[in-house]
Amino acid sequence: MVLLAGGVPLGAADSLAVHLDGDYLRVSLPHVDFLKGKPLDRLKDGASVAFIGKISITLSPNSLNSVTQAVARFAMSYDIWEERFSVTKFQSPENKRPIAHLTEQAAENWCLDNLVIDRGLLPPDKPFYVQLEWRAEDPKDQLGVIGDPGINLTRLVEYLGRPPRSPEERRLYNAGPFRLADLKKSEVRAVRG
Amino acid sequence: MPFAMRYLVFGLLVISISSSHLRADEAFLRQAAESNVNQRYVIESVSLAGIELDQLPASRLPKTLRSRLQGLVGAQCDVAMLDDLSAQIRRELHLRTVSEHLLRGSAPGRIRVNFEVVRRDLFFDISLPRFLYHSKQGWTGELDASTRFRQNDLKIGVVSNGDDLTERFTGIAARYDSAPLGSEKIRAGVTLEDYHEQWNQETRNALAGSDLDLYRSRWNVAPEITFAVARPLTVSVGASFTQTASESPAVGSQATNAATLDVHYGHRIEGDTVQQQIDGKYSLRVATHALGSTYAYARHLITARYEAKAGRQTFSDEFTGGSITGEAPFFDRFVLGSSSTLRGWDRYEIDPLGGSRVAHNEVTYGYRFGARTVEGFYDAGALWQSDRPATLRHSLGVGYKQGIFVMSMAFPVRSGRLEAVFMAGMNY
Repeated sequence: MVLLAGGVPLGAADSLAVHLDGDYLRVSLPHVDFLKGKPLDRLKDGASVAFIGKISITLSPNSLNSVTQAVARFAMSYDIWEERFSVTKFQSPENKRPIAHLTEQAAENWCLDNLVIDRGLLPPDKPFYVQLEWRAEDPKDQLGVIGDPGINLTRLVEYLGRPPRSPEERRLYNAGPFRLADLKKSEVRAVRG
Repeated sequence: MPFAMRYLVFGLLVISISSSHLRADEAFLRQAAESNVNQRYVIESVSLAGIELDQLPASRLPKTLRSRLQGLVGAQCDVAMLDDLSAQIRRELHLRTVSEHLLRGSAPGRIRVNFEVVRRDLFFDISLPRFLYHSKQGWTGELDASTRFRQNDLKIGVVSNGDDLTERFTGIAARYDSAPLGSEKIRAGVTLEDYHEQWNQETRNALAGSDLDLYRSRWNVAPEITFAVARPLTVSVGASFTQTASESPAVGSQATNAATLDVHYGHRIEGDTVQQQIDGKYSLRVATHALGSTYAYARHLITARYEAKAGRQTFSDEFTGGSITGEAPFFDRFVLGSSSTLRGWDRYEIDPLGGSRVAHNEVTYGYRFGARTVEGFYDAGALWQSDRPATLRHSLGVGYKQGIFVMSMAFPVRSGRLEAVFMAGMNY
């Protein structure tokens, strides 16, 4: 079952597909392309880029109150000699899953494939909406507004004067309504996430 | 309390924004850097703004920073360390942004690192290094403009301080710190201060029968030279020339000219499970008629601090002891009942004139939840005059700390009534 989705606030015309995979709800996009613009430039410069993905289940479209949600954290880097991507999923400080030698498309798909929500947490008898948020984080020292010397007002002014976060750094997709009983089921795969 | 309530709401708002689920915390960003796939490569060269380190003039880069950058060459690429160095370069060279770029080296497995820089429109920083709201004392704060040129630091600030002394002082303070003088271990500095004083009515009432003078303004110039004797030990020697203008026209202007000595010891012990920090400071001021001073006295102050961190827990103990022989003006007398000593007590109830002897101990236990720390503290101290007996006082309190922001509630321990003092601020 493929349903309509809209990129918010970007207005990207991507379709967010939702299906059940064993005990998990998974999402997919026909064209995963969050690796572009500034985050991709930073990766090609050899830096690490932290991504945070979140799936939220709500009872009304664009609602801020979620019934349940799942958050996954990924660290990505680009091997400047091999020209391949490496991704690590951080589940906890002690528990991380790395994978390397990926193409750009494979790295994006691996991240999305590792962002799931437990089926048991979905509303069993109410229609619900699915929201996918994908966000690249700024390097920690980019701002330097607050630190040991206190609040640096010059940097605060510079920060407020910066152009808004570029669309490549935050992407939002919505889809729904769905009913649990109507969702398409795929073959049971190994448990991920 | 309405100001305190407003501040509390503001604090909670800041905390709620910063704890948003989708905000990457510093630990995660560091983990991301540490998982970088390029860490297996060896750095063959380092450049700043495209210029190789050995081509950069000595005046463009502080020696310690240069040696840290040179230390990268031949080592494995540590991306978290490169992030830290970018931050250090940005801070020390007053740049807008610094970011590291990795480039292929001359052979497979080798890389070059270039720190790209973006310069700033302004050549100085304006910062708010410290502020405090105290429900009994009101506001204390400082606003600074600072700049650096060829490793010389200059800072000019406006200050209103109702926390450190018996009186509230408001005015301008400037500080100059020179580049290393010949050796990295020797630096010179000079402080200039020009303050206007405001006196509490309880101090005025207690003044009868005392030789102390209430001054309406205070001006000070204090040159000093600092020697880094060894890595954990620095010694500063200098002088302080203070002029006070009395409220009484009959007294007029008075001088407090003193020789100064400060010795600071700091040592960090990194263990597998426990990190410890030991700090000690001894400060001496000797004012003498030989230097043209109206007052003649010697002021000794010792501070010793121990801190241990293990996992989520933090413990610290800080002792302060001081003694004045002779008659010191108000600004050099000891005070208890501030934001860091006998918290919760009213300083004017302890002694509205300040004291010539002080002993104080502060014990703090903290438990960390992510970036936040909840603390409990116990203060005990006595402030007295050499010819009078000392009274030991106690206070207890709880605090909440996130980064440099702190909120705390302190309770003086005494019979009869329970009266809490609320404090909120930054870097105090």
